[in-house]
Amino acid sequence: MNMTDLQTVFAAEFLRRIRSRAFVIGMAIGVVGILTFTKLPALIGNAFAGSSTIVLIGDETLTSPAEALLKSDYDIAAKLPAGTIVTQAVLRTNKAAAALTLSKTRQGITVAVDARDPSAMRRADIKRDLLPLQLSLATGKTTAQVNALTSIPITIKTIGSKFSNSNQAQQVKGIAYMLIFFLYILILLNSQLVTSSVAEEKTSRIAELLVASVDPATLLAGKILAGTAIAVVQMLIWIAAGVLTGGSPGTSQTADANAMFSLSQIFDVLTPLVIVAFLAFFVLGMLQLCTIFAALASLINRTEDLGSITGPLTIPVVGALFIAIAALGSPGAPWIVTCSFVPILSPFVMFARIAVSNVPAWQVVLALAINLGALYGIALFAGKVYRVGMLLYGRTPKLSQVWNVIRS
Amino acid sequence: MLEVDHVHKEFGSVRAVRDVHFTIPDGTTFGLLGPNGAGKTTTMRMILGILTPDGGAVRWNGQPVHANTRKHFGYLPEERGIYGKMKVRDQIAYFGKLHGMREPSLGQEVDRWIERLGITQYADRPCAELSKGNQQKVQVACAAVHRPQLLVLDEPFSGLDPVNADILLAILRELQSNGTALVLSSHQMWQLEDLCDRFCIIADGENRASGTLEELRSVFPTRVVRIGDTHGTSEINVPATTDFAAMLRELVSTKPITRFEAVEPSLHEIYLHAIGGSAA
Repeated sequence: MNMTDLQTVFAAEFLRRIRSRAFVIGMAIGVVGILTFTKLPALIGNAFAGSSTIVLIGDETLTSPAEALLKSDYDIAAKLPAGTIVTQAVLRTNKAAAALTLSKTRQGITVAVDARDPSAMRRADIKRDLLPLQLSLATGKTTAQVNALTSIPITIKTIGSKFSNSNQAQQVKGIAYMLIFFLYILILLNSQLVTSSVAEEKTSRIAELLVASVDPATLLAGKILAGTAIAVVQMLIWIAAGVLTGGSPGTSQTADANAMFSLSQIFDVLTPLVIVAFLAFFVLGMLQLCTIFAALASLINRTEDLGSITGPLTIPVVGALFIAIAALGSPGAPWIVTCSFVPILSPFVMFARIAVSNVPAWQVVLALAINLGALYGIALFAGKVYRVGMLLYGRTPKLSQVWNVIRS
Repeated sequence: MLEVDHVHKEFGSVRAVRDVHFTIPDGTTFGLLGPNGAGKTTTMRMILGILTPDGGAVRWNGQPVHANTRKHFGYLPEERGIYGKMKVRDQIAYFGKLHGMREPSLGQEVDRWIERLGITQYADRPCAELSKGNQQKVQVACAAVHRPQLLVLDEPFSGLDPVNADILLAILRELQSNGTALVLSSHQMWQLEDLCDRFCIIADGENRASGTLEELRSVFPTRVVRIGDTHGTSEINVPATTDFAAMLRELVSTKPITRFEAVEPSLHEIYLHAIGGSAA
């Protein structure tokens, strides 16, 4: 393979693609999507912020301890005396979503809730928060004593896990989920870009001029490497957008609440091993799929046929995405472990396993070796298909015909 | 010198080229003729290394054609393509780079071609915005920007209007005078007859005739003789070996002759004769 030609094809393809409208639009949509994905929960939270503001109505001996018990879940706008009739005006005046009227009974207390949106008030939360008050009234102990009696310290220790606690595990799974989704979108999107580039050259008949100047294998490799490089650029921009908009320094409670993950959490999760694994499997996945897509694209004669010939190949990619998501929950399940060695699936599934579990080093090395071997095989076969396909005009050939020509 | 040494090529059960052979000395303009499906394009693709012959060999200066050799070749395929969104200047420069050209000579050569082809005003516009004729000019520039030693042109005049055909003809003559060997296929026989030094006629994937026009004429079996008398002019076909002086003497002795002309066969006639039943 002529390295100068490879460099020329790579540079031309890279510049052509990165300046294309499709790339710019895809990039913009991606950034907007990430922005929405990371900010929407906070925006929705703000939009419904009033739903956690309530007023308490009742005797001072009930509303005072209740205020202390409810404040972890609700903002108490006001405490109104017993006998206050709840009207819309009362709620509007206090900017509250609901009013809780507390009454003492022989058994303890009753709570009547008047809410603008009943679905926003969860019976279980109110019951859990006010249970110490009920027990306090029944036993004569203070609510602090009841709290002390009813609280059970629970410690969860992890054995053989890479996480120190369940919170960290949840955060890692969240971030790994995001990265797998990035992997899926980027691989599929950029494989399609390489595909359309090959199809464009084939259908515009410039392919013959190109293969007269450059070895088809060099041409194909230049395109695929440029597609991969563009995907890396795109990935870095998206991740930067995700980190800058979704992450916060985590210094204040509000900032933490509005961000999906704090920067420190993200960098806790993105250990060097995870980053290297992500990049390695991303590049392998890109190269494998781009090569197959490009070879198939060389067989078509009309861009309209592109979907029908490459469409079936997206099925295993979608399958790989679902298996990878399943792997986040059961990274050690035998079928997941098996899938993590299967080319095409492996880039997604093995990365998911590495992100959420301690995968033995030999398994990672084996998966890399299998994928590299598969890539070599795919490249050999795809190179032959591409070499033949780029010069085949007329009706889209059957695969058996292509096979015969390759063999001949 | 290019040697096409008894090449053959099959695609599955189809034998596209059976036994084609010819040589093209340096600086020669060579016409490759044949009906549609004769194997011209396949032969050209084998010359350029796009296809590998199943048998026989293609040699350039005695060596097999390889990747580096191909850097000195240029190609204008019959089915011409272009990157519609790429600017004219960038497109020509890209093909120059693919043939090993680098700045500053690349930029100078690209500018020279743009000026030579009269498309300066379109230099920074996407190719898709150009007329078909101007796109074809860009394609010619892409094929020849690197000053190839061998330029292969498959039906270069097809689709060109008379003005653009004349421009292309002038460019080919310029390349010819600069010592570039040209291989052309065309159905416009008069253009080839005027332009080419040597010819090869192939049909059904086989050589039917090859050589200079004189050599081809020398083996043509008949001649047309135009005879004029008081009643008008008539034409008769006679064997090429006819003694025309004796024939004229005999005619003059029998009737008053106003015109006697033994016409050499044209390339068109030689072509039709050579392809015989393959003409359909």
